[in-house]
Amino acid sequence: MIDSAELISYLHGHGFTLASGVPCSYFKELFIELEKSDKINYVSATREDEAVGISCGYYLGGKQSFVIMQNSGLATIGDALTSLAQLYQIPLLLFVSYRGLEPDTDFPEHSIMGDVTEEILNAYNVPYEILYEQDWQDTINRAIEEMITNNEVVCILVEKGVLSE
Amino acid sequence: MRGEEVVAALKDSISDDVLIVSSNGNVSRQVFTFLPQPQIYLRGSMGLPMSIGLGLALAQPKKQVIIFTGDGNFLMGLSSLATIGNNLPSNLRLIILDNGSYATTGGQETVTSSLDYLKLLEGMGIKHFGSLNAIESPTKLSEAFEILLTGDQTAVLHIVVGDDVENLENIPWKPIEIKEKFLNKFG
Repeated sequence: MIDSAELISYLHGHGFTLASGVPCSYFKELFIELEKSDKINYVSATREDEAVGISCGYYLGGKQSFVIMQNSGLATIGDALTSLAQLYQIPLLLFVSYRGLEPDTDFPEHSIMGDVTEEILNAYNVPYEILYEQDWQDTINRAIEEMITNNEVVCILVEKGVLSE
Repeated sequence: MRGEEVVAALKDSISDDVLIVSSNGNVSRQVFTFLPQPQIYLRGSMGLPMSIGLGLALAQPKKQVIIFTGDGNFLMGLSSLATIGNNLPSNLRLIILDNGSYATTGGQETVTSSLDYLKLLEGMGIKHFGSLNAIESPTKLSEAFEILLTGDQTAVLHIVVGDDVENLENIPWKPIEIKEKFLNKFG
């Protein structure tokens, strides 16, 4: 498991000073650490598209933030992505939990979105990487570099157990 | 008064270093036409001007940020008012231009007529707010602006305006130009 405190320090070291989002249990540890962090200010959003709006506004104020959400939020942020972040070419890093990967009778609500998550990101023209414990810094480095170089939205998919038990 | 007249009337009350977020459609065109440039002129993302303004206010705490939104846009992003009420950045101001209609798309009615904006704002945790009917009391506008702008707390002003809107020309800047010109304000 990646240490969430280390991840926060790492992102702060790359210029991120705010995060916004809607929680997912896959990010439980990350939210605990964000709560404690004096490096990154977390703004709780009511919806995922609102989190994208907050992050875009923060960028237009000259500062960098990232967004955290469950993959169900990918359905909600379509207009915020296409007619705001991508239209204005705003660099934005999304941490999205990859739910619904395995048949899970307790949580059927995730299975259909789990099947189409990568197709949706492809359809939105959002480049993505899947985060693993091994070499996680390299994955995040590549994502940040792509985000800055191309002024674009980049997504990091986070599977179960990578950032929280 | 119409929405564009209210926007134009604000010109003398705001300083050049105020940062403005304006909602897509007529409102952003009015802000582009009548107020100092450049500002954030939204082309799409209906419902998001409040969240964008909140992010901007958090990034630039020493500058005053004013969000201009129509009632349709405000209603779509209503839950962002709760988020603003939860954060209350002292530099944030919200002006709701309420003409009761989706004027940009032909004047279809919004659901605003059944709302009590003062109760709504209070219930969302906003401490400083007011409502003004600019059709009936246009002379009270400058006083309302002064109260809104001179305080040191998050404040919201709901203004009822006429629905006899004349659509302005589209904003000639490309979205990327809007972003770059706006970012240049911060060096």
